[in-house]
Amino acid sequence: MSPPTKIHLNADRESAADIEAAAFAWAARADRGPLSAEDQGALDAWMAADSRRAGAYARALAADAYLDRARALGPGYQPARHAASPVWTRRRLLAGAGGGVAASLVAALGVTTLWARDRIATPKGDVRRVSLPEGSAVTLNTDTVVRPAFAKAERRIDLVRGEALFDVAHNPARPFRVFADDVRIEAIGTSFTVRRHENGDVEVVVRQGLVDVRRVGSAEGVRLAAATTSRVSGRAPIRPQVLSPEAVDKSLAWREGRLDLTGLTLAEAAAEFARYSDYQIAFATADVGRLEVSGVYSVNDPEGFAKAAALSLGLEARALPAGVTLATRTTS
Amino acid sequence: MGSVTRQRAVWLAERIFPHEPALRAWLSRRPPVGLELDDIVQETYAILAGLEAVDHIRTPRTYMFEVAKSVILQNLRRSQVVTFEALAEFDSLQTPSDEPSPETAAANRQELGRVAALVATLPPRPREVFILRKIHGLSQKEIAARLNLAESTVEKHVGKALAVLTAKIGRGGIRRLESSSHREPTDQDPSERRPGERRRY
Repeated sequence: MSPPTKIHLNADRESAADIEAAAFAWAARADRGPLSAEDQGALDAWMAADSRRAGAYARALAADAYLDRARALGPGYQPARHAASPVWTRRRLLAGAGGGVAASLVAALGVTTLWARDRIATPKGDVRRVSLPEGSAVTLNTDTVVRPAFAKAERRIDLVRGEALFDVAHNPARPFRVFADDVRIEAIGTSFTVRRHENGDVEVVVRQGLVDVRRVGSAEGVRLAAATTSRVSGRAPIRPQVLSPEAVDKSLAWREGRLDLTGLTLAEAAAEFARYSDYQIAFATADVGRLEVSGVYSVNDPEGFAKAAALSLGLEARALPAGVTLATRTTS
Repeated sequence: MGSVTRQRAVWLAERIFPHEPALRAWLSRRPPVGLELDDIVQETYAILAGLEAVDHIRTPRTYMFEVAKSVILQNLRRSQVVTFEALAEFDSLQTPSDEPSPETAAANRQELGRVAALVATLPPRPREVFILRKIHGLSQKEIAARLNLAESTVEKHVGKALAVLTAKIGRGGIRRLESSSHREPTDQDPSERRPGERRRY
């Protein structure tokens, strides 16, 4: 068969390539921050003139969002180590043990046979999205272990440790259930996160749809709708709490490697960073840990956060072997 | 048409964009008269971006193929340069089924490795800017300050990196493992593959 024939019905029609180039330029502009009113007006007018432009812009934003996963490569990423031919073949991957580049990639990705080991895990500092064979997907936050056990009548996933987002393909005949300790979360076509806290609490945030939360063995469940959360603690009754759309987004910032610290104390922020790396943020006195912080930081940059916090709160930062101690400044 | 929400962009990124090479490969075997492949792809994204809701879409890959098909059909009807038979033939074309297989799951886990390899192929400046922006999470403004560049220059490098990487991923410049697991439409003879198109394994 011959290559696609190019017949222009309208010779003046703007080429798809030109549209694409302009769309990438707009996406790069939008990446700087919210567009100015003037830019937004120009973009809207540009898109309104041809539906292909709106499509090209949506595609550019989609590709940009897709590339956010590069964050998971971590600050230690060195292009030189990946400079070999980007053509991938399965054979090459399997030959990983022999080739240096492939081997390092295998190590970086933690490629394991998913269904053979029945266990999906992320090391500290990593975020990974994995598609499940029936169309659902699970995104693991740092230091997380899940164990899927898919049977005909039930899709069961045990959250052994950590936090994960579940995007569930709707299938009423085959319920999707997450077990975290003694808490059972059943999805009814939905997207939600489950986090096991250090103290044993299990926190559920529902992004879309509906889930049923109950203790294993209990006949009574609590229904959580979209934009609600519940923190199941000890034997206390399970209570839903409504979240603002911003709060839902904030709770999922980790997917892009971000940590939204708004409203947290320094000690709480330090505990969040400790989930992602072994860099230690300590406080000379408990008072310091109670100071409030705000802002969005990279999960990979606890040091940057500590420095910024010290600067904005007027604290002194004393270096530790693998971390920092924050103290109130001694007046001289 | 309004701007694309962040939520929709993420949906397109996760559910649609990874299947773009498969869509292009499928379309290129049936080149529709009067439309370029890139036009169809852009129109398809325009429709997907403009949908009121996407929650009901259980098989985004199939959905994308169907949208692309509707774009072509609509255009064929409008163009009046094709016979009814051609139209009917196109209408009866089957879109590939959408059943993620264990191989697809494996491919997804290798995505990060592909991104790592592709970033390495960028020209030096766009690569440096991309790494600071996406991997280290610096803003364009912070990158400009660190590299002592004008913000508009940083913006250009961001656009360049995005264009190169999108072309390589979206146009299947590298064959995705994902394509290995597709049940391909049965109306194709392997000899009809475009010259240079890699054999699927």
